[in-house]
Amino acid sequence: MTGTRPLRLIWRWPVLLAVLNVFGLLAALIGQTGIWLALSWIALTIPLAVAAICIVRSRA
Amino acid sequence: MHKWSSLICTLFLLLICISGLPLVLREEIDGLLDDALPYAQVPEGTPNVSLDRVVDASRKLYPGETIISVFVDDDEPKIMVYMASSWEAFNADRKSLYSIRFDAHTGDVLKQTKPFGADGLTFLQVMLTLHRDLFAGLPGELFLGGMALLFIAAIVSGIAIYGPFMRKLDFGTVRLARSRRLKWLDLHNLLGVVTLGWAFVVGATGVINELSTPLFALWQQTDVRAMLAPLQGKPVPQTSELSSPQAAYDEVQAAFPDMITTTVVYPGSPFGSPYHYVVWTRGKEPLTSRLFSPVLVDARSGVLVSTVAMPWYLRALELSRPLHFGDYGGMPLKIIWVLLDLVTIAVLGSGLYLWLSRSRAERPQQHSATALLLPGAAE
Repeated sequence: MTGTRPLRLIWRWPVLLAVLNVFGLLAALIGQTGIWLALSWIALTIPLAVAAICIVRSRA
Repeated sequence: MHKWSSLICTLFLLLICISGLPLVLREEIDGLLDDALPYAQVPEGTPNVSLDRVVDASRKLYPGETIISVFVDDDEPKIMVYMASSWEAFNADRKSLYSIRFDAHTGDVLKQTKPFGADGLTFLQVMLTLHRDLFAGLPGELFLGGMALLFIAAIVSGIAIYGPFMRKLDFGTVRLARSRRLKWLDLHNLLGVVTLGWAFVVGATGVINELSTPLFALWQQTDVRAMLAPLQGKPVPQTSELSSPQAAYDEVQAAFPDMITTTVVYPGSPFGSPYHYVVWTRGKEPLTSRLFSPVLVDARSGVLVSTVAMPWYLRALELSRPLHFGDYGGMPLKIIWVLLDLVTIAVLGSGLYLWLSRSRAERPQQHSATALLLPGAAE
Protein backbone atom coordinates (compact mmCIF):
# COMPACT_ATOMS: atom_id res chain seq x y z
CA MET A 1 0.00 0.00 0.00
CA THR A 2 2.99 2.25 -0.34
CA GLY A 3 3.38 4.48 -3.36
CA THR A 4 0.78 5.28 -5.96
CA ARG A 5 -1.25 2.51 -7.55
CA PRO A 6 -1.54 2.56 -11.32
CA LEU A 7 -4.86 3.65 -12.86
CA ARG A 8 -5.43 0.16 -14.20
CA LEU A 9 -5.47 -1.27 -10.68
CA ILE A 10 -7.64 1.51 -9.26
CA TRP A 11 -10.34 1.09 -11.90
CA ARG A 12 -10.21 -2.66 -12.51
CA TRP A 13 -12.92 -3.58 -9.99
CA PRO A 14 -15.17 -0.53 -10.41
CA VAL A 15 -15.28 -0.96 -14.18
CA LEU A 16 -15.90 -4.70 -13.97
CA LEU A 17 -18.74 -4.21 -11.49
CA ALA A 18 -20.30 -1.39 -13.52
CA VAL A 19 -20.22 -3.57 -16.64
CA LEU A 20 -21.88 -6.39 -14.66
CA ASN A 21 -24.54 -3.96 -13.43
CA VAL A 22 -25.40 -2.74 -16.90
CA PHE A 23 -25.27 -6.24 -18.37
CA GLY A 24 -27.63 -7.46 -15.65
CA LEU A 25 -30.08 -4.63 -16.28
CA LEU A 26 -30.17 -5.24 -20.03
CA ALA A 27 -30.08 -9.05 -19.98
CA ALA A 28 -33.48 -9.31 -18.28
CA LEU A 29 -34.97 -6.58 -20.47
CA ILE A 30 -33.85 -7.97 -23.81
CA GLY A 31 -33.86 -11.66 -22.94
CA GLN A 32 -36.75 -11.98 -20.50
CA THR A 33 -36.61 -15.78 -20.55
CA GLY A 34 -34.98 -18.46 -18.38
CA ILE A 35 -31.25 -18.25 -18.90
CA TRP A 36 -31.12 -14.48 -19.45
CA LEU A 37 -33.16 -13.85 -16.34
CA ALA A 38 -30.83 -16.02 -14.28
CA LEU A 39 -27.77 -14.29 -15.76
CA SER A 40 -29.33 -10.95 -14.92
CA TRP A 41 -29.93 -11.92 -11.29
CA ILE A 42 -26.36 -13.23 -10.96
CA ALA A 43 -24.78 -10.21 -12.64
CA LEU A 44 -26.68 -7.79 -10.42
CA THR A 45 -25.96 -9.74 -7.25
CA ILE A 46 -22.18 -9.94 -7.73
CA PRO A 47 -21.49 -6.24 -7.00
CA LEU A 48 -23.55 -6.49 -3.80
CA ALA A 49 -21.70 -9.65 -2.83
CA VAL A 50 -18.33 -7.99 -3.52
CA ALA A 51 -19.23 -5.11 -1.22
CA ALA A 52 -20.36 -7.52 1.48
CA ILE A 53 -17.13 -9.54 1.20
CA CYS A 54 -14.99 -6.38 1.44
CA ILE A 55 -16.82 -5.32 4.58
CA VAL A 56 -16.64 -8.74 6.23
CA ARG A 57 -12.95 -9.08 5.33
CA SER A 58 -12.06 -5.73 6.85
CA ARG A 59 -13.62 -6.86 10.13
CA ALA A 60 -11.25 -9.80 10.33
CA MET B 1 -18.63 19.81 -7.37
CA HIS B 2 -19.37 16.45 -5.73
CA LYS B 3 -20.17 18.20 -2.48
CA TRP B 4 -22.57 20.74 -3.92
CA SER B 5 -24.33 18.53 -6.43
CA SER B 6 -24.95 15.91 -3.74
CA LEU B 7 -25.80 18.27 -0.91
CA ILE B 8 -28.62 19.90 -2.83
CA CYS B 9 -30.23 16.65 -3.88
CA THR B 10 -29.45 14.36 -0.94
CA LEU B 11 -32.52 15.00 1.21
CA PHE B 12 -34.86 14.71 -1.76
CA LEU B 13 -33.03 11.65 -2.98
CA LEU B 14 -33.40 10.04 0.43
CA LEU B 15 -37.13 10.74 0.25
CA ILE B 16 -37.24 9.29 -3.27
CA CYS B 17 -35.28 6.17 -2.31
CA ILE B 18 -37.37 5.52 0.79
CA SER B 19 -40.73 6.09 -0.92
CA GLY B 20 -39.48 4.02 -3.86
CA LEU B 21 -38.80 1.03 -1.64
CA PRO B 22 -42.44 -0.11 -1.25
CA LEU B 23 -43.14 0.86 -4.87
CA VAL B 24 -40.79 -1.87 -6.10
CA LEU B 25 -43.20 -4.38 -4.56
CA ARG B 26 -46.26 -2.41 -5.59
CA GLU B 27 -48.02 -5.26 -7.40
CA GLU B 28 -47.52 -7.63 -4.48
CA ILE B 29 -48.67 -5.09 -1.87
CA ASP B 30 -51.61 -4.08 -4.07
CA GLY B 31 -52.56 -7.73 -4.50
CA LEU B 32 -52.48 -8.31 -0.74
CA LEU B 33 -54.59 -5.25 0.04
CA ASP B 34 -56.96 -5.62 -2.89
CA ASP B 35 -60.57 -5.84 -1.73
CA ALA B 36 -62.03 -6.50 -5.18
CA LEU B 37 -64.41 -9.40 -5.78
CA PRO B 38 -62.61 -12.49 -7.10
CA TYR B 39 -62.61 -13.43 -10.78
CA ALA B 40 -65.30 -15.90 -11.80
CA GLN B 41 -64.14 -19.48 -12.37
CA VAL B 42 -64.79 -20.17 -16.04
CA PRO B 43 -63.95 -23.01 -18.41
CA GLU B 44 -60.72 -22.67 -20.41
CA GLY B 45 -61.15 -20.65 -23.60
CA THR B 46 -64.12 -18.59 -22.41
CA PRO B 47 -64.10 -15.45 -24.57
CA ASN B 48 -64.13 -11.92 -23.17
CA VAL B 49 -67.42 -10.06 -23.01
CA SER B 50 -67.89 -7.28 -25.54
CA LEU B 51 -66.36 -3.90 -24.68
CA ASP B 52 -69.66 -2.38 -25.82
CA ARG B 53 -71.45 -4.16 -22.99
CA VAL B 54 -68.85 -3.06 -20.43
CA VAL B 55 -69.04 0.53 -21.65
CA ASP B 56 -72.86 0.51 -21.49
CA ALA B 57 -72.74 -0.84 -17.95
CA SER B 58 -70.29 1.93 -16.99
CA ARG B 59 -72.56 4.61 -18.43
CA LYS B 60 -75.51 3.17 -16.48
CA LEU B 61 -73.44 3.30 -13.28
CA TYR B 62 -72.41 6.91 -13.88
CA PRO B 63 -74.99 8.54 -16.17
CA GLY B 64 -73.81 11.68 -17.94
CA GLU B 65 -70.16 11.13 -17.06
CA THR B 66 -67.38 10.70 -19.60
CA ILE B 67 -65.47 7.55 -20.50
CA ILE B 68 -61.76 8.32 -20.82
CA SER B 69 -60.39 4.93 -21.82
CA VAL B 70 -60.93 1.19 -21.68
CA PHE B 71 -58.06 -1.16 -20.84
CA VAL B 72 -58.12 -4.88 -21.61
CA ASP B 73 -55.60 -6.79 -19.50
CA ASP B 74 -53.94 -9.76 -21.17
CA ASP B 75 -52.48 -10.98 -17.92
CA GLU B 76 -55.52 -11.17 -15.68
CA PRO B 77 -59.13 -11.56 -16.88
CA LYS B 78 -60.05 -7.98 -16.22
CA ILE B 79 -61.28 -4.98 -18.17
CA MET B 80 -60.81 -1.53 -16.67
CA VAL B 81 -63.02 1.40 -17.62
CA TYR B 82 -61.60 4.80 -16.68
CA MET B 83 -64.03 7.70 -16.33
CA ALA B 84 -64.19 11.33 -15.23
CA SER B 85 -67.08 13.74 -14.84
CA SER B 86 -66.09 15.40 -18.15
CA TRP B 87 -63.08 15.95 -20.41
CA GLU B 88 -62.79 19.49 -19.02
CA ALA B 89 -62.60 18.13 -15.48
CA PHE B 90 -60.05 15.49 -16.54
CA ASN B 91 -57.90 18.03 -18.38
CA ALA B 92 -57.97 20.39 -15.42
CA ASP B 93 -57.06 17.65 -12.96
CA ARG B 94 -55.83 14.24 -14.11
CA LYS B 95 -56.47 12.94 -10.62
CA SER B 96 -60.23 13.29 -11.13
CA LEU B 97 -60.01 9.95 -12.94
CA TYR B 98 -61.86 7.01 -11.40
CA SER B 99 -62.21 3.43 -12.52
CA ILE B 100 -64.49 0.42 -12.69
CA ARG B 101 -63.01 -3.06 -12.81
CA PHE B 102 -64.99 -5.69 -14.70
CA ASP B 103 -64.56 -9.43 -14.88
CA ALA B 104 -63.53 -9.91 -18.52
CA HIS B 105 -65.42 -13.21 -18.78
CA THR B 106 -68.71 -12.34 -17.11
CA GLY B 107 -68.87 -8.56 -17.36
CA ASP B 108 -69.58 -8.34 -13.61
CA VAL B 109 -68.33 -5.30 -11.71
CA LEU B 110 -65.51 -6.38 -9.38
CA LYS B 111 -64.44 -3.06 -7.94
CA GLN B 112 -65.02 0.67 -8.26
CA THR B 113 -62.56 3.36 -7.23
CA LYS B 114 -63.27 6.99 -6.45
CA PRO B 115 -61.20 9.85 -7.90
CA PHE B 116 -57.69 10.14 -6.44
CA GLY B 117 -57.86 11.17 -2.81
CA ALA B 118 -61.67 11.33 -2.60
CA ASP B 119 -61.68 8.31 -0.31
CA GLY B 120 -58.49 9.12 1.55
CA LEU B 121 -55.18 7.95 0.15
CA THR B 122 -53.81 4.46 0.36
CA PHE B 123 -50.26 3.92 1.62
CA LEU B 124 -49.01 3.19 -1.89
CA GLN B 125 -50.72 6.28 -3.34
CA VAL B 126 -48.94 8.45 -0.76
CA MET B 127 -45.60 6.79 -1.56
CA LEU B 128 -46.10 7.05 -5.31
CA THR B 129 -47.11 10.72 -5.14
CA LEU B 130 -44.18 11.60 -2.88
CA HIS B 131 -41.89 9.68 -5.20
CA ARG B 132 -43.18 11.30 -8.37
CA ASP B 133 -44.21 14.87 -7.63
CA LEU B 134 -44.27 15.65 -3.87
CA PHE B 135 -48.03 16.30 -4.21
CA ALA B 136 -47.21 19.29 -6.45
CA GLY B 137 -48.29 18.00 -9.88
CA LEU B 138 -46.25 18.94 -12.94
CA PRO B 139 -43.98 21.48 -11.14
CA GLY B 140 -43.17 18.75 -8.62
CA GLU B 141 -42.38 16.29 -11.40
CA LEU B 142 -39.99 18.75 -13.03
CA PHE B 143 -38.42 19.64 -9.70
CA LEU B 144 -37.73 16.01 -8.79
CA GLY B 145 -36.49 15.46 -12.37
CA GLY B 146 -33.99 18.23 -11.68
CA MET B 147 -32.99 16.56 -8.41
CA ALA B 148 -32.42 13.29 -10.30
CA LEU B 149 -30.25 15.21 -12.75
CA LEU B 150 -28.18 16.54 -9.82
CA PHE B 151 -27.94 12.97 -8.53
CA ILE B 152 -26.37 11.98 -11.86
CA ALA B 153 -23.98 14.93 -11.57
CA ALA B 154 -23.10 13.71 -8.06
CA ILE B 155 -22.39 10.21 -9.40
CA VAL B 156 -20.16 11.56 -12.19
CA SER B 157 -18.28 13.94 -9.90
CA GLY B 158 -18.00 11.15 -7.34
CA ILE B 159 -16.31 8.97 -9.97
CA ALA B 160 -13.94 11.85 -10.75
CA ILE B 161 -12.69 12.08 -7.15
CA TYR B 162 -12.75 8.32 -6.52
CA GLY B 163 -9.65 7.79 -8.69
CA PRO B 164 -7.32 10.20 -6.88
CA PHE B 165 -8.71 9.09 -3.53
CA MET B 166 -7.97 5.42 -4.18
CA ARG B 167 -4.40 5.99 -5.36
CA LYS B 168 -3.00 4.66 -2.11
CA LEU B 169 -5.74 2.25 -1.12
CA ASP B 170 -6.61 -1.22 -2.32
CA PHE B 171 -10.07 -1.66 -3.77
CA GLY B 172 -12.62 -2.34 -1.05
CA THR B 173 -10.48 -1.17 1.86
CA VAL B 174 -12.66 -0.31 4.86
CA ARG B 175 -10.62 1.16 7.71
CA LEU B 176 -12.81 0.20 10.62
CA ALA B 177 -10.40 0.81 13.46
CA ARG B 178 -9.09 4.32 12.77
CA SER B 179 -12.06 6.62 13.28
CA ARG B 180 -15.77 6.59 12.76
CA ARG B 181 -15.46 9.19 10.04
CA LEU B 182 -12.82 7.25 8.13
CA LYS B 183 -14.92 4.10 8.38
CA TRP B 184 -17.95 5.84 6.86
CA LEU B 185 -15.82 7.53 4.22
CA ASP B 186 -14.52 4.14 3.08
CA LEU B 187 -18.02 2.62 3.20
CA HIS B 188 -19.40 5.56 1.21
CA ASN B 189 -16.77 5.01 -1.47
CA LEU B 190 -17.13 1.23 -1.56
CA LEU B 191 -20.93 1.10 -1.61
CA GLY B 192 -21.10 4.01 -4.05
CA VAL B 193 -18.66 2.51 -6.51
CA VAL B 194 -20.14 -1.01 -6.58
CA THR B 195 -23.66 0.29 -7.32
CA LEU B 196 -22.80 3.16 -9.62
CA GLY B 197 -23.94 1.40 -12.83
CA TRP B 198 -27.36 0.68 -11.37
CA ALA B 199 -27.68 4.08 -9.71
CA PHE B 200 -26.77 5.84 -12.94
CA VAL B 201 -29.37 3.91 -14.96
CA VAL B 202 -32.15 4.31 -12.38
CA GLY B 203 -31.29 8.02 -11.99
CA ALA B 204 -31.25 8.69 -15.73
CA THR B 205 -34.48 6.75 -16.37
CA GLY B 206 -36.01 8.62 -13.43
CA VAL B 207 -35.25 11.92 -15.18
CA ILE B 208 -36.90 10.66 -18.38
CA ASN B 209 -39.96 9.41 -16.49
CA GLU B 210 -40.40 12.79 -14.83
CA LEU B 211 -40.46 14.34 -18.30
CA SER B 212 -43.34 12.17 -19.52
CA THR B 213 -45.99 14.91 -19.34
CA PRO B 214 -44.03 17.45 -21.44
CA LEU B 215 -42.84 14.71 -23.82
CA PHE B 216 -46.41 13.58 -24.53
CA ALA B 217 -47.44 17.24 -24.94
CA LEU B 218 -44.62 17.73 -27.46
CA TRP B 219 -45.76 14.67 -29.43
CA GLN B 220 -49.30 16.02 -29.33
CA GLN B 221 -48.18 19.39 -30.68
CA THR B 222 -46.09 17.92 -33.51
CA ASP B 223 -46.83 14.44 -34.91
CA VAL B 224 -50.43 14.14 -33.74
CA ARG B 225 -51.31 17.69 -34.73
CA ALA B 226 -49.80 17.23 -38.20
CA MET B 227 -51.82 14.08 -38.63
CA LEU B 228 -55.07 15.73 -37.56
CA ALA B 229 -54.52 18.92 -39.57
CA PRO B 230 -56.87 17.90 -42.43
CA LEU B 231 -59.70 17.45 -39.91
CA GLN B 232 -59.19 20.84 -38.30
CA GLY B 233 -62.48 22.53 -37.41
CA LYS B 234 -64.68 19.47 -37.99
CA PRO B 235 -67.23 18.88 -35.22
CA VAL B 236 -66.14 16.61 -32.41
CA PRO B 237 -68.37 13.50 -32.12
CA GLN B 238 -71.01 13.44 -29.39
CA THR B 239 -71.38 10.40 -27.17
CA SER B 240 -74.47 9.28 -29.08
CA GLU B 241 -72.52 9.36 -32.37
CA LEU B 242 -69.65 7.14 -31.20
CA SER B 243 -69.09 3.90 -33.06
CA SER B 244 -68.60 0.62 -31.19
CA PRO B 245 -65.36 0.43 -29.16
CA GLN B 246 -65.39 -3.37 -29.55
CA ALA B 247 -65.49 -2.95 -33.34
CA ALA B 248 -62.55 -0.53 -33.17
CA TYR B 249 -60.67 -3.01 -30.98
CA ASP B 250 -61.41 -5.93 -33.33
CA GLU B 251 -60.48 -3.96 -36.41
CA VAL B 252 -57.08 -3.01 -34.99
CA GLN B 253 -56.45 -6.56 -33.77
CA ALA B 254 -57.28 -7.91 -37.25
CA ALA B 255 -55.07 -5.33 -38.98
CA PHE B 256 -52.11 -6.01 -36.66
CA PRO B 257 -52.23 -9.72 -35.82
CA ASP B 258 -48.65 -9.65 -34.49
CA MET B 259 -49.57 -7.11 -31.83
CA ILE B 260 -51.58 -7.28 -28.62
CA THR B 261 -54.32 -4.66 -28.43
CA THR B 262 -54.49 -3.23 -24.93
CA THR B 263 -56.29 0.08 -24.64
CA VAL B 264 -58.97 2.10 -26.40
CA VAL B 265 -58.68 5.81 -25.60
CA TYR B 266 -61.83 7.81 -26.27
CA PRO B 267 -61.91 10.87 -28.56
CA GLY B 268 -61.18 14.10 -26.70
CA SER B 269 -58.23 12.83 -24.69
CA PRO B 270 -55.31 15.20 -24.19
CA PHE B 271 -53.20 12.16 -25.14
CA GLY B 272 -55.15 11.50 -28.33
CA SER B 273 -57.40 12.92 -30.98
CA PRO B 274 -60.71 14.78 -30.79
CA TYR B 275 -62.11 12.67 -33.67
CA HIS B 276 -60.66 9.21 -33.18
CA TYR B 277 -60.38 6.31 -30.87
CA VAL B 278 -56.69 5.86 -30.18
CA VAL B 279 -56.17 2.12 -29.91
CA TRP B 280 -52.85 1.19 -28.29
CA THR B 281 -51.09 -2.01 -29.28
CA ARG B 282 -47.87 -3.58 -28.16
CA GLY B 283 -45.55 -6.30 -29.41
CA LYS B 284 -45.37 -9.88 -28.13
CA GLU B 285 -41.59 -10.26 -27.80
CA PRO B 286 -39.85 -9.36 -24.52
CA LEU B 287 -38.45 -6.07 -25.79
CA THR B 288 -41.32 -5.08 -28.11
CA SER B 289 -43.87 -5.79 -25.36
CA ARG B 290 -42.56 -2.55 -23.83
CA LEU B 291 -43.07 -0.59 -27.06
CA PHE B 292 -46.58 0.70 -27.67
CA SER B 293 -47.94 1.86 -31.01
CA PRO B 294 -51.11 3.92 -31.34
CA VAL B 295 -53.63 3.30 -34.14
CA LEU B 296 -56.30 5.84 -35.03
CA VAL B 297 -59.86 4.64 -35.68
CA ASP B 298 -62.48 7.17 -36.79
CA ALA B 299 -64.79 7.41 -33.79
CA ARG B 300 -67.87 8.17 -35.94
CA SER B 301 -67.51 5.76 -38.86
CA GLY B 302 -65.37 3.17 -37.10
CA VAL B 303 -62.92 3.13 -40.03
CA LEU B 304 -59.27 2.38 -39.25
CA VAL B 305 -57.30 5.45 -40.31
CA SER B 306 -53.62 4.76 -39.66
CA THR B 307 -50.92 4.25 -37.10
CA VAL B 308 -49.25 7.29 -35.59
CA ALA B 309 -45.48 7.58 -35.62
CA MET B 310 -43.88 7.27 -32.20
CA PRO B 311 -40.90 9.59 -31.97
CA TRP B 312 -37.59 8.47 -30.47
CA TYR B 313 -38.17 10.38 -27.23
CA LEU B 314 -41.37 8.46 -26.48
CA ARG B 315 -39.60 5.18 -27.31
CA ALA B 316 -36.91 6.20 -24.83
CA LEU B 317 -39.61 6.94 -22.28
CA GLU B 318 -41.19 3.53 -22.79
CA LEU B 319 -37.88 1.74 -22.27
CA SER B 320 -37.17 3.92 -19.26
CA ARG B 321 -40.15 2.59 -17.38
CA PRO B 322 -39.04 -1.01 -16.76
CA LEU B 323 -35.41 0.06 -16.21
CA HIS B 324 -36.64 2.42 -13.51
CA PHE B 325 -39.30 0.23 -11.90
CA GLY B 326 -37.32 -3.04 -11.88
CA ASP B 327 -40.51 -4.98 -12.62
CA TYR B 328 -39.28 -6.92 -15.63
CA GLY B 329 -37.30 -9.80 -14.20
CA GLY B 330 -39.49 -11.62 -11.73
CA MET B 331 -39.38 -11.59 -7.95
CA PRO B 332 -35.58 -12.08 -7.66
CA LEU B 333 -35.00 -8.88 -9.65
CA LYS B 334 -37.40 -6.99 -7.37
CA ILE B 335 -35.51 -8.20 -4.31
CA ILE B 336 -32.20 -7.16 -5.90
CA TRP B 337 -33.82 -3.78 -6.65
CA VAL B 338 -34.79 -3.39 -3.00
CA LEU B 339 -31.24 -4.28 -1.89
CA LEU B 340 -29.66 -1.85 -4.36
CA ASP B 341 -32.08 0.83 -3.18
CA LEU B 342 -31.08 0.15 0.44
CA VAL B 343 -27.39 0.41 -0.49
CA THR B 344 -28.11 3.72 -2.23
CA ILE B 345 -29.84 4.96 0.94
CA ALA B 346 -26.68 3.99 2.85
CA VAL B 347 -24.52 5.90 0.35
CA LEU B 348 -26.72 8.99 0.66
CA GLY B 349 -26.90 8.73 4.43
CA SER B 350 -23.16 8.26 4.83
CA GLY B 351 -22.52 11.16 2.46
CA LEU B 352 -24.73 13.36 4.58
CA TYR B 353 -22.99 12.16 7.77
CA LEU B 354 -19.57 12.88 6.23
CA TRP B 355 -20.58 16.40 5.39
CA LEU B 356 -22.19 17.05 8.77
CA SER B 357 -19.24 15.64 10.71
CA ARG B 358 -16.80 17.51 8.49
CA SER B 359 -18.44 20.84 8.95
CA ARG B 360 -18.34 20.32 12.70
CA ALA B 361 -14.80 19.00 12.92
CA GLU B 362 -13.02 20.71 10.07
CA ARG B 363 -14.65 24.01 9.41
CA PRO B 364 -12.64 25.97 12.01
CA GLN B 365 -9.44 25.00 10.19
CA GLN B 366 -10.87 26.24 6.88
CA HIS B 367 -10.18 23.01 5.02
CA SER B 368 -11.72 22.92 1.59
CA ALA B 369 -14.09 20.08 0.86
CA THR B 370 -11.78 18.46 -1.62
CA ALA B 371 -8.63 18.75 0.49
CA LEU B 372 -10.01 16.02 2.68
CA LEU B 373 -10.64 13.75 -0.23
CA LEU B 374 -7.33 14.24 -1.97
CA PRO B 375 -4.66 11.57 -1.58
CA GLY B 376 -2.64 11.92 1.55
CA ALA B 377 -5.01 14.41 3.10
CA ALA B 378 -7.40 11.68 4.14
CA GLU B 379 -4.97 10.24 6.63
